[in-house]
Amino acid sequence: MNGPHSSGPSTEAAFQPLVDALLVGDHKLAAAVAQHLIEQGCSREQVVTDGLEHAMGLLDDKCTVESFNLLEIMLVGRAVSAVVRVLYPDGYAPTEGRATFVIATLEGDVHDLGKNIVRMVLAGKGFRVVDLGRDCPVDDLVGAAQREGAAAVLVSGLISPVVSQVRKLRPALRACGLAHVPVVAGGAALKQLRPEALDVDYVAENAFDGAHYLERHVSGAPTT
Amino acid sequence: MATLRVRAGGALHLLAYDPDAGNSLRAILEPTDFRVRTACLGLGACGLCRVRVLAGEVGAPTAVERVQLEDALLAERVRLACQCRPVGEVEIEVLSLAPPSSWHVPPGGLASIGTLRWEADPAPSHAVPRPLGVAVDLGTSHISVALIDLIGARPLALRVGANPQRAHGADVMTRLVAAGDPDHARALASLARAAVGEALGEIARSEGIDLRRVRRVLVVGNTAMLSLLADRNHQRLLEPANWSLPIDCAPLETASWGREWGLAPEASIEVVAPLAGFVGSDLLAGVVAERMPELRTPGLLIDFGTNSEIALWSGDTLWVTATAGGPAFEASAGRDCIPAEAGAVVRVREGEGGALECDIIAGDEPRGLCGSGLVDLLACLLRQRRLGPRGRFSDGSERVEFEVNGRVLGLGWREVDALQRAKAAIGAGMKVLCGCAGVDPYALQRVLVAGLFGSHLDLDSAAAIGLLPRLPEGRVVLVGNTALAGACGLLLCADARRMLERVRACARFVNLGRMAAFDEAFLDQLFLQPMGSPP
Repeated sequence: MNGPHSSGPSTEAAFQPLVDALLVGDHKLAAAVAQHLIEQGCSREQVVTDGLEHAMGLLDDKCTVESFNLLEIMLVGRAVSAVVRVLYPDGYAPTEGRATFVIATLEGDVHDLGKNIVRMVLAGKGFRVVDLGRDCPVDDLVGAAQREGAAAVLVSGLISPVVSQVRKLRPALRACGLAHVPVVAGGAALKQLRPEALDVDYVAENAFDGAHYLERHVSGAPTT
Repeated sequence: MATLRVRAGGALHLLAYDPDAGNSLRAILEPTDFRVRTACLGLGACGLCRVRVLAGEVGAPTAVERVQLEDALLAERVRLACQCRPVGEVEIEVLSLAPPSSWHVPPGGLASIGTLRWEADPAPSHAVPRPLGVAVDLGTSHISVALIDLIGARPLALRVGANPQRAHGADVMTRLVAAGDPDHARALASLARAAVGEALGEIARSEGIDLRRVRRVLVVGNTAMLSLLADRNHQRLLEPANWSLPIDCAPLETASWGREWGLAPEASIEVVAPLAGFVGSDLLAGVVAERMPELRTPGLLIDFGTNSEIALWSGDTLWVTATAGGPAFEASAGRDCIPAEAGAVVRVREGEGGALECDIIAGDEPRGLCGSGLVDLLACLLRQRRLGPRGRFSDGSERVEFEVNGRVLGLGWREVDALQRAKAAIGAGMKVLCGCAGVDPYALQRVLVAGLFGSHLDLDSAAAIGLLPRLPEGRVVLVGNTALAGACGLLLCADARRMLERVRACARFVNLGRMAAFDEAFLDQLFLQPMGSPP
């Protein structure tokens, strides 16, 4: 985890209302509680660590996102975004997040719910996520990776025609001198395939699996 | 409602029917699995549809029955099902069962096509006597085929069956990807063609129709289905850049289709061009069927299906879009879900003491819930607070179960989730379309609900779960299979064809994937609650 933080019972109690608001997906309450915590003198980092990350950890424990229905996941996502907006009204600056990832649903696929869940989980874990949306050309994604100094590139694909786009990613990164930047793929269509078939570094089973890989990668731990 | 007791093939079936509708025994039996054998249009001409009346009143023997049935038979109360109109409680025995077929008369019979709002052009002098037309609605899950009298402007027969391409994937995308292999593409095209042929064969056999009288065949459908039928340009649909562009689905030759279907060489076969990538000619035909360009106030047409299409007429522009409604409303929501056919629980309501009561289509053995039954069930569970607006059962259980005529049917939270997604996609699509046209959804004077699922929907339940807006009585109308009604209109008259071209010219396609407003509307619409209520 990123740096020391107090985790005594009093802190836990202070952050519990935030964690609860996040998990039930009440975005207004979550934002209000986060605002209150900041006004009480909590640091932004503390809110991320003891609030957002703690909530994400609980979600992760509850046998992953798959035990939630789509509405519940989207509500948690909206609540996480609301808290991040309170903490960083202008978004995370490149220096503020733990690391920066760029994420997109590639050209040919407009289904981006899965991608949005990944963004939510990573934002909740304190990462800076640059989201290029859906139907995104490969070149735009590579350009963003270069501009933002991305520690990894994430792509999601629900439908199989997008596979050919994913395969273009690594050569395009290499051409821009970004051969060292790992590519992580996920989504219904992509997770049917092995990393070699997609020419990516990792194929995530779900959002948390992808997040664990990225945490290992960022911390320098072995990723395989 | 009254009960018709039917003895057929050694079993007794109880059928609920509406005696005030004045339907013949044949018409009542037609959507069931114990149809009586027939070979004419129900005029008493073939004499095959024999039943024995065991109890109850079905009217006196008609003149044709006296011709077809000897006195001894009449004395034993043997009757022709097409000539008998039951009154009250009646028991019959089907003496000659029709062979099993995958092509059925849908519940509601010919009325499920909806109202034909077009009249026939005067017949050209060289026309054959009593020319016929065939309208085909090629859907992702179901294929509907109607036979129409081109002079009398009257539908004569209707059959609905499963699209056999389902074996290659339930959804459009899977089939399109499969068609990337030319052998698969040819197989898919041939499956659809053969299915239309089978439906026509079934009509010819059971209605005693000579298919050589067919002058024109018109096929409407969604773009993917039409491109697969013609085996042309389907791979273009995999590229998003083409989704808002016209896709040519005109078959290169149709003479072989006519031969395969047993039509005369001079019969013309036409595939009505779709509008764009995901807006098919089924939707355009629906707009023509309902004569939407003549509406003076904004009107909306929703064609529920595996790929739901929505059209909004704003006075001078037709805003159209397609949304992945998912097959949720067409029987793929869960293991106890089936299409709206014989044995489907079509209606669920709260009875005495909160127990759930059900109506079953054309039979008494429940096989599963169809889309309208599911919508009713969700509405009931919400009202009883057994289900929350977020789609979770209040007691924390994974699944609710209830018993219908001795069979236990159930619904799990994942199935509710699938329905929420489908509902949200359609609701958000409607909202975005209204936004594009600058029309307040609650200002809509006319909301037309089409499609197989749409013809059974309970509007109160649909409003309670937020599938449709709650509008003053009479503004939301169930209009049946408008795609087929529109195709019939196009077969009948030049004015309808001119309207189609006008509609094409003023249509604007909205790609929901590119609309930022869609995401927010989608989240709001995921809640199971009336549209527009605070989350």
